[in-house]
Amino acid sequence: MNDHQALQLIEAMVATPSVSGDEAALAQLLVEQMHHAGFDAHVDVVGNAVGMLGDAAETVVLLGHMDTVPGQIPVVMRDGELWGRGSVDAKGSLATFIAAAARAHVEQRLAYRVIVVGCVEEEIASSKGAHFVAQTMAAPTWCIVGEPSGADRLTLGYKGNLRAQIRIEQDAAHSAHASQTAAEHGCELWQSIAQHANEFNQGRERAFDQLLPSLVRIESGGDGLCDWCELLVNARLPLDLDPAAYTALLQQLLPNYAHLNISGATPAYSSERTSSIARRFGRVFRANGQQPRYVQKTGTADMNVVGPAWGCPVVAYGPGDAALDHTPHERLPLAEYLQAINVLTAVLSNE
Amino acid sequence: MSAQCPECEGTIALAADILDGEIVPCPDCGAELEVVSLNPVVLELAPEVEEDWGE
Repeated sequence: MNDHQALQLIEAMVATPSVSGDEAALAQLLVEQMHHAGFDAHVDVVGNAVGMLGDAAETVVLLGHMDTVPGQIPVVMRDGELWGRGSVDAKGSLATFIAAAARAHVEQRLAYRVIVVGCVEEEIASSKGAHFVAQTMAAPTWCIVGEPSGADRLTLGYKGNLRAQIRIEQDAAHSAHASQTAAEHGCELWQSIAQHANEFNQGRERAFDQLLPSLVRIESGGDGLCDWCELLVNARLPLDLDPAAYTALLQQLLPNYAHLNISGATPAYSSERTSSIARRFGRVFRANGQQPRYVQKTGTADMNVVGPAWGCPVVAYGPGDAALDHTPHERLPLAEYLQAINVLTAVLSNE
Repeated sequence: MSAQCPECEGTIALAADILDGEIVPCPDCGAELEVVSLNPVVLELAPEVEEDWGE
C-alpha cells in the first residue's frame, strides 16, 4: 500500500462515523479495504473487523479499535492535518496497522503472520471487542495495540482502573440535632479515601506508580425516614495494586453501614522496554536516526485486557497527539501518519 | 561480546549486532541498561521511562 493509498484509507475511515455501539459501517469498510490489500478479512460475531495476512510461523496481533466517542468534527484536510472525530483516537493507528502490514507483504518482507483487529466498544466500559479477542484468539508472539503514542515513541503500559459506587444510608434526623448528616458522612468518607491514597503514595514519585482516586460525583437526599449519600469514586491503579486488593482496602475504610458496588475493574499492565517487541521498535527508531523514547500512561486501554490474558509482550503504538483525544480539536498530522507506517513496516519486516 | 553491569558488576552477554543506544536487561539484578559506547562496550543505567496523562 503506497502513501497515496494509505492517505485514502485514513480519509475514508475518519469520514465514516463509528461511535461506540455503531461501528458496523466502518467494519464493512475495513473488511473491503483489507480484502483489496490482500488480507483474508471478515467481521466476527461481536462486530470486530478482522484481517489476516502472511503465513509465517510466528503470529503478531495488531489490535486497534474502530469506535470513537461522540461529537461530530467536520472532516477536512487543513495545513497537512486531517481533522475529524477518531483521527487520533484511534483510526490513525488502525489505518497504520493495515497499511504497514500490506506494504511489508507486497514488498515480500513480512516476517510474521499478521492479524489486524479493529475492535468494537473500546471507548465504553465493556471493551467488548477486546474481551472477545482475548478469550477466543490464541496468544500471539507479541501484540501491538493501536493508540496514539506519537510516531517516534512507544507506549509500554497503562494504569489500571476501578470504579466504585459507595452508598451510605442512615435514619433521618432533624437538622437541629448534633448528629452528622449522611452528606457529612459521605464527605468524611471521601477524605479518608484521599488520605489513604496520600499515605500509599509516600515515596512514589511517578504518577504511573501512584494510587490516584478521584471523586467523580457525590449526591445526597432523603425521604423523611432515611437519609442517604452516594459517592462515585474512580481510582487509577498502579501495577502493584490490582482491583481486588484495592476493593479490599476500600472495604476496610468504609463504615459497616456503607454499601460498596464495583462497576468497573481493570488491572494495570506494562511491558518491559527490554522485551522483544520494544527492542525491535528501538532498533527501527535508531536506524531512522531517532533516539528511542518510551512512555507509560495514566489512562487505560485495550492493552489492559489482552496483556494479562495473553501474557505475551504488548506495547501500544500509533501516530498523533493523545492530548487531542476526545477533544473538539482532534486532528492527525499526515506526515506523522506516513512516518508511523514506515516505522511499523520495518518492525514487521525481516531484519 | 560481554560487558559489566554498572549496578551489580555482573557479566552481561551481548549480541554481536548490538547498537549504540540499545537497552539491555542485566540478567543478574534486572537493571535496564543503555549501551552508551560500542568500542569498548560501556553500559549505564537507562534513563527513566516517560509518563503521560491520558490514553
